[in-house]
Amino acid sequence: MTHYKFIIKFFAITPLLFLASSCQVDDKQKIEQKNWSLVWSDDFNDASGTQPNPTKWTYDIGNSGWGNSELQYYTNRPENVATDGNGNLVITAKSEIYNGAPFTSARIKTQGLFSQKQGRFEARIKTPYGPGIWPAFWLLSDNVNTVGWPQCGEIDIMELRGQQPHIINGSLHGPGYSGGNAMTTPYSIPNTRFDVDYHLFAVEWYEDHIDYFVDDYLYQRIKKSDVSGEWVFNNSSFYIILNVAVGGNYVGFPTAQTPFPQKMYIDYVKVYQ
Amino acid sequence: MKKYSFIIYIASSLLFFTSCERDVENLDAATYPTNGEVFIDAFSSGLNYAAFGGSVPTAFQVDNAVTYNNSSASMRFDVPNANDPNGAYAGGSYFTNMPRNLSGYDALTFWAKSSQTATIDVVGFGNDFGENKYQASISGLQVSTAWKKYIIPIPDPSKLTAEKGMFFISEGPENNNGYSFWIDEVKFEKLGTIAHPQATILNGANQTVTSFIGVSNTVNGLTAIFNMPNGTNQAVNVTPYYFTFSSSNTNVATVSPLGVVNTIGAGTATITGKLGSINATGSLIINSPGSFVHAPTPTRSPSSVTSLFSDAYTNVPVDYYNGYWAPYQTTQSADFEVAGDHVLNYTNFNFVGVQFSSPVIDATMRTHLHLDLYIPSTLASGAIFKVQVVDFGADGVYGGGNDTSSTRTFTAPTLQGQNWVSLDIPFSSLTGLASRSHLGQIIFEGTNITNFYTDNIYFYNDGSIIPSVPTVAAPTPTTPSSNVISIFSDAYTNVAGTNFNPNWGQATQTSIVSIGGNNTFKMQGLNYQGIQLGSNQNVSSKTFLHVDYYTANSTSLKIYLISPGPVETPYTLTVPSMGGWQSIDIPLTSFSPVDLSNVFQLKFDGNGDIYMDNIYFK
Repeated sequence: MTHYKFIIKFFAITPLLFLASSCQVDDKQKIEQKNWSLVWSDDFNDASGTQPNPTKWTYDIGNSGWGNSELQYYTNRPENVATDGNGNLVITAKSEIYNGAPFTSARIKTQGLFSQKQGRFEARIKTPYGPGIWPAFWLLSDNVNTVGWPQCGEIDIMELRGQQPHIINGSLHGPGYSGGNAMTTPYSIPNTRFDVDYHLFAVEWYEDHIDYFVDDYLYQRIKKSDVSGEWVFNNSSFYIILNVAVGGNYVGFPTAQTPFPQKMYIDYVKVYQ
Repeated sequence: MKKYSFIIYIASSLLFFTSCERDVENLDAATYPTNGEVFIDAFSSGLNYAAFGGSVPTAFQVDNAVTYNNSSASMRFDVPNANDPNGAYAGGSYFTNMPRNLSGYDALTFWAKSSQTATIDVVGFGNDFGENKYQASISGLQVSTAWKKYIIPIPDPSKLTAEKGMFFISEGPENNNGYSFWIDEVKFEKLGTIAHPQATILNGANQTVTSFIGVSNTVNGLTAIFNMPNGTNQAVNVTPYYFTFSSSNTNVATVSPLGVVNTIGAGTATITGKLGSINATGSLIINSPGSFVHAPTPTRSPSSVTSLFSDAYTNVPVDYYNGYWAPYQTTQSADFEVAGDHVLNYTNFNFVGVQFSSPVIDATMRTHLHLDLYIPSTLASGAIFKVQVVDFGADGVYGGGNDTSSTRTFTAPTLQGQNWVSLDIPFSSLTGLASRSHLGQIIFEGTNITNFYTDNIYFYNDGSIIPSVPTVAAPTPTTPSSNVISIFSDAYTNVAGTNFNPNWGQATQTSIVSIGGNNTFKMQGLNYQGIQLGSNQNVSSKTFLHVDYYTANSTSLKIYLISPGPVETPYTLTVPSMGGWQSIDIPLTSFSPVDLSNVFQLKFDGNGDIYMDNIYFK
């Protein structure tokens, strides 16, 4: 297990973006080891067709649009979420009429089973692709049902628009900086895309800042002083969500050109303190 | 064909822009240059242009006015209007004399815009005006009035180690109207963002065919599909050269590098394909019973046959052997050839029509329809095979209210599985057919027969219809001339001075007519007719009098041999001459007591119109 801490020389988003999208990846980030200790994980090494471990995961079910005008019906069926027998959990978005919705998919979460404030959250994922496909690996506050969103806070470790399968976004939502005004930075992977191989997506969440990584490359640091509103990320523990949405405000509609089914492969999820 | 050649010119700034992609040039020590630039602001090094045949030769121009990103030049194509006398479309290929190694790239990219929204017919690379081995293209590329970048994935870059075809394009008028489009910044790139390659053979279907030793099948339906950087799938037209094919059992079937499958043994073999390392979906499953059993070889004289489908005869024009009549027909065709023998094979059979309307067939001189039928499986119970013959009526075309048809139905035991069955259908049994002078279609219809072969489909005359005039010459004699005393034959030297029309008071009209290029003795309106030999003949050393005769309408015909006295003896010939020319060797003993050492006349009596040839003693 490798644990890194990076010392960043400059922080303006623009030069970071330039680096990320150029052909010369700067691998000279100075790093300082930090001894994280593993507190929670799921390797999904079960036999093929196994549903998520109910002691670790639960489901969001339905087609409410989830605040984003998403089109899919989230189910807890093995057709939409199960292990593949090769050490991965697979969330499958399908084009099928189900309870009046045109697509099905799954959204699993650790709400009520595991949550943590601060630390390192990581998942090794191969994304789905195609216009209107919206996979995400993200954290939401345990307070969501009491203080409401966006006051509760949301940390998006990885989101991807399937029409841009070489770009992921890391975002932070809170009061005064949510939705379209969230703190967000895209990361464009050079000369490949996120749906052809596994990549490690992580955040390291500290009291006064959150660092965003792809394959242990730090591409974004959001400091308490950067956000325009209240820094709500020391108020509560956050739980983990993994989902593949179809359509929605963020990604647009799928088209006749969108290949189905679409699968998000999750090799593992690990949380450190 | 106009040819352009441009001297290398690369702006230094371009080197800068593309610098991060140029490291692919260092990947291998290629023999050939790895330059990926095709047209940036001018033709790249060694690039030539030639217009395609039939296109407007001047449709392509270098344009300095409309360019992408305000660069100095672009490529402009002026698509002609429909019926432009200069050419029907804009199209040509850009190729190099010195091959380039493009194996380090994964796509051809370019920017394009058009004077109106349009769909370009085909654009791609790999056209070198030679074999076009690694041609790849996209059909139906939609362009608009805004500059946009387009990408053509390379189906398998490892193949492009010595490619000359850099870029080609072909586009015709849109709704009969010409327009212009511009292409710029054409180059091969290593994008890295083309993913999830898929490939198909037979368009992804698993197709089973029955084949025999000596039969060839071709693997077609080759496609490559790539997920583009925008997440959508794009189909790319590919050549077989990109694929590698394999057979699961090379004792049954082998497959060539270009996908030609040769069946060489009995058994089952599955043909599959790979595009690079990608297993193509779809397969061709060869079920081979082994050696093909040919249909019986037809023996009828070509002169009595009107053939629609047979290797034994010259076939008349046929519109189609499968009309694919929508919407109810399910029948497909899988015709094959074994050792020069062509066989019609109908699969997934319910009904199928064979049409021969240009021209329709006048079968009034034919008595039967013949076809050979082979059902490759065992005969299913309840199997029914129907043959419907359609006459198009006096108008000679389908419909028009005057078509008539008649159907014959066959069941077991006439029908058999795994055996050739010859069906001979007399027109006399096709009672619903008001006429057979404008035949236009034969329709096969079946129940519980999913697959059958047929061969030797022809109309024939069993001999019961005799044309009033022979259609062919009498058979050429084969007796050696040294054994012959000939009276009338083109094959021999005849007795000199013979009078074929002595005035014996007969009513018969005689003439020498040419039948099939052969002089033939004709007696019209026979009552009697003599022949006075040029000199008396001693035929006592001969055994037979040979004659070839032909008559459609005679009901009585006798031949006499005469010696002085006169001594004459008749011999009765069977008339009319069923089946055409009749050749007969009459034993000379039949003419007793005629003096065979001193024959001087012949005589015929009877009635009708008679054709005679090859009258000789042997």
